Amino acid sequence: MRVLGIETTCDETAAAIVSVERSGEHKILSNEVLSQIAAHAAYGGVVPEIAARAHVEAIDRIIARAFADAGLKPGDIDAVAAAAGPGLVGGVMVGLTAGKAIALATGKPFIAVNHLEAHALTARLTDNLTFPYLLLLVSGGHTQLLAVRGVGDYLKLGGTIDDAVGEAFDKIAKMLALPYPGGPSVEREAAKGDSERFDFPRPMQGRPNPDFSLSGLKTAVRLVAERIAPLSDNDVADLCASFQAAIVDVMVDRTRAGLRACREAGITPTTLVVAGGVAANQAIRSGLTRLATEAGLPMVAPPQALCGDNGAMIAWAGLERLRLGMVDDMGAVARPRWPLNELTPKPATAA
Amino acid sequence: MRILAIDTALGACSACVFEAGAAAPLAQETLVMDRGHAEALMPLIERVMQKADGGFAALGRVAVTVGPGSYTGLRVGVSAARAIAFAAGIPAVGVTTVAACAAPLIGREHGRVIAAALDARHGQVWFQALTAEGKPLVSLRQVSYRDAARAIGAGPVSLVGSAALSVANEAWAIGLDALVVDDAKAPNIAWVARLGLIADPESAPPRPLYLKAPETTPQDKARLPRR
Repeated sequence: MRVLGIETTCDETAAAIVSVERSGEHKILSNEVLSQIAAHAAYGGVVPEIAARAHVEAIDRIIARAFADAGLKPGDIDAVAAAAGPGLVGGVMVGLTAGKAIALATGKPFIAVNHLEAHALTARLTDNLTFPYLLLLVSGGHTQLLAVRGVGDYLKLGGTIDDAVGEAFDKIAKMLALPYPGGPSVEREAAKGDSERFDFPRPMQGRPNPDFSLSGLKTAVRLVAERIAPLSDNDVADLCASFQAAIVDVMVDRTRAGLRACREAGITPTTLVVAGGVAANQAIRSGLTRLATEAGLPMVAPPQALCGDNGAMIAWAGLERLRLGMVDDMGAVARPRWPLNELTPKPATAA
Repeated sequence: MRILAIDTALGACSACVFEAGAAAPLAQETLVMDRGHAEALMPLIERVMQKADGGFAALGRVAVTVGPGSYTGLRVGVSAARAIAFAAGIPAVGVTTVAACAAPLIGREHGRVIAAALDARHGQVWFQALTAEGKPLVSLRQVSYRDAARAIGAGPVSLVGSAALSVANEAWAIGLDALVVDDAKAPNIAWVARLGLIADPESAPPRPLYLKAPETTPQDKARLPRR
């Protein structure tokens, strides 16, 4: 079973083909990602109109490359999946329309995939996990703790009440004149710095409800940075290291609260999973691995290439839905907002 | 050759299947709308393709209006055209909205200038003028109603497009012989197909014609001074 996946919700134009072989083995046959980072770098963030223009310019070329890399022709796939949101709607429409068009022209089923569900299910593509599991989803636009009970079946345990984690990294990077995207830049600087030089707050620490608040931390960094400016290279490294240490503590503490909330809801997770672009951060991964060990759970994080937005995760989510007969028609709409709890699991069919 | 033509650039969502040399499309559908093209387009193409025997395998080409028009509309139409072209292994070509609006008048307006004036909002028009025989006279531009009327020259002029009357008013004010032939909000999809059939894929790529750069300003205000 082979599925084409298309992703255009933010600043990556991506397409991939994923398969489940007869042996049951999962394979990524191709995974093409065209990042628009350079086009947005001057603005310190993604500019929606620039992103939409870039997606339409590249979409057919990236899809053609995904087929060429996999050694397949359009008719060789079993279904087409495209991200229908949440995201920047101008870009979502490009990938969604292209996906529908390929499905229609090849006579294959079409699946409109929720981008967050695709991140949530990636661990099943890579590690064949069984439900339920606890997911920390962290990216430029999202910061949530979810109990993943099944395809289309999510219980949101908590989320950010202000900034997303990736957004906090981007804002700190911008403040310190580090290159966009902020996540890798701050992590690189943090590796050179002293994480104990500045004692930044750990917002929400110890609270039972597994929510996040990050804008106060960002402000604390700015106030300290403004006080000691002009900044030396060492200052920048120390600010990054101290900020990242606070972020790791927050992630670990909030995920611990999420684990408790999950169990209180009567769900016993098999695994702790971290996914999304910020899951590429090594310090956060190590922190969560410690927490998982303490909780007696395995910890799974996707390989670096599958942390950021990609087509393989969309193809995989499409494949999971296709296996359950959860397909969509040509009328599927692009959704700028699409919380996971608005999805519905496949109803049990009467025997 | 058989072509699938798509238009989502202006005030309609349209598609048709057209066989070269035929008097009318094999199948067509036009929905008049100002918004909602993204949701309407693929179901509409599905219905149109069901009505044409042979399906996608019988197509030799895809044509799409590339603008000027609504940015969202252009991107939806172009994405669909490019993806269909890839899946069916056929070329895709772009047709401008002004050309598709003006095309029906070519060869029928003896001795008159043919001008297409499409509403670009905020008192602006997307404007292009041709000779009665279809030779370029005024290149495509975004201008005020008045500047469009002035670009016509001595006239007489036959106008088409959603802003035809607004430009005609300015033309009359400066004493031009101006006639509004058609002020439809979108081109006739059959003409998009006809122009698509004769377009050269090398010189008419399916690429949105925005006419304007994105409105953005680099931001570095939040940056702190470095030593």
